Amino acid sequence: MTSSSSLSRKALSKIACNRLQKELVEWQVNPPTGFKHKVTDNLQRWVIEVVGAPGTLYAGETYQLQVDFPEHYPMEAPQVIFLHPAPLHPHIYSNGHICLDILYDSWSPAMTVSSVCISILSMLSSSTVKQRPADNDRYVKNCRNGRSPKETRWWFHDDKV
Amino acid sequence: MAAEEQEEEVRMEVEAVRAFYGDDCEIIREFPPHLHVHITPNTAENSSQQFVEVVLGILCDAQQYPQKPPHLHIVDSKGLDENREKHLITSIENKSQELSSCSMIIKLCQEAVELLTGMNHPEGNCPFCLHPLLVEDQSGNSPPFMKLMSCYHCFHSECIIRWWQWLQDDRKQCDSVIASAGIQKEMKQQQHNCPVCRKLFDAKDIEHILDYAGTNSLQENAAEEMDADERKLLESESEKNRRQKFESLLQLQQENSGLIEPRKEIVVLPGMYLPAPVVPASTAIDSAVEQQLDSASTASEAPDLNIPSNKATTSKHRDMNTRRKNRYHNSRRQQQNVYSNRRQWVKKEMAPSEH
Repeated sequence: MTSSSSLSRKALSKIACNRLQKELVEWQVNPPTGFKHKVTDNLQRWVIEVVGAPGTLYAGETYQLQVDFPEHYPMEAPQVIFLHPAPLHPHIYSNGHICLDILYDSWSPAMTVSSVCISILSMLSSSTVKQRPADNDRYVKNCRNGRSPKETRWWFHDDKV
Repeated sequence: MAAEEQEEEVRMEVEAVRAFYGDDCEIIREFPPHLHVHITPNTAENSSQQFVEVVLGILCDAQQYPQKPPHLHIVDSKGLDENREKHLITSIENKSQELSSCSMIIKLCQEAVELLTGMNHPEGNCPFCLHPLLVEDQSGNSPPFMKLMSCYHCFHSECIIRWWQWLQDDRKQCDSVIASAGIQKEMKQQQHNCPVCRKLFDAKDIEHILDYAGTNSLQENAAEEMDADERKLLESESEKNRRQKFESLLQLQQENSGLIEPRKEIVVLPGMYLPAPVVPASTAIDSAVEQQLDSASTASEAPDLNIPSNKATTSKHRDMNTRRKNRYHNSRRQQQNVYSNRRQWVKKEMAPSEH
């Protein structure tokens, strides 16, 4: 991985600011279905409420996503985690970290908060079983020092869910 | 019999389409006809002015064509979003209703050409900054944009250059991490994917823009190194210039078997014959040489002498301009470099995290 948690604590660059303001306006006009942005005055950290899609294992359940933007967003991916309690899902660790390639190696600056949210909801929706990843305990223990998921060397082994 | 006649007619129509579109028409099946026609806007001869294209699938029903219009679908497209694709198909379908029971394949393709010509502009926002690619009102100059040739996705030039730069820096850091870890560097081909569709694209697409935008200063070399290189280059070039001029003068003098006095109205400035980067001085030299050439009656040889020295000076002028620009950029680059070095340092610290 080529990112570090210290970046997310740096103030947004001007370009990042402009881009996020643009995204926020677009979100307000046309929010992705099933998501609600909790209004704060912090442009750098968005808290987004997500409701499980009808007809899926998570139907009607509400979770919260926390999106932190690095200084050089959108060149760098935002850090996206579930706030406690994280949904039970084979790719979501109990500390809220999400194993999803577009959040790490496959991030592209053409993606937006909105498109990331849709990907996460789609990941939830396609799950057939409510369970934690097999290595959950080991991983969560490794992250106890507050390590960002962006520092994890993710191994994307499953493209079905 | 009627059915046979009809089939014959349809086969002839397919033949006509093939003749008309040549390589742009792929015949999947002769009868009932199934064609893929590559359609480009009217302006497509100039590839820099082409922003859309489509491969239109035309599938005719065995018995019912042309009474029933063919089924139309988009096999492949570039530069068209869902909405525009939909608009295209609906419009051609409407046309096909109008033309019902005529031989219509070519007409439908022509309709598609017309529609595409009308749509031949990038649409929507720059994927990086999310601001529109084309500014609506005529008064405002929209910022320059470019497209990737493999997918026709368009970006503000400034935005994509920034991204490109970011990738280069990132790659360098990866390389240095690999190098410091003592791992043999893989000779993997650097692949570039469109940020929107991840289609591979040629680095030339962007390098071309770098040249065009005159932002060569964005190149990776460390700023200081570049400065030293530049100075060397400048010196060698002007040195060459000077030598060239001197040689041409010498030759002239030899031809005229003697010294040529500079014309009286020409002011000889100190340093005029030195490689000083004073622009007016070098133009003065040029005109001096020219006038001397005029006075020299060897008309046939004059251009030979004139052109190289002229060329050299003009290219020098341009170089100096860009160099001046570069220097300005360099100071900014330097800051960036300082910053990216720092970031690199942070990253190395963080690197050995594994899960």
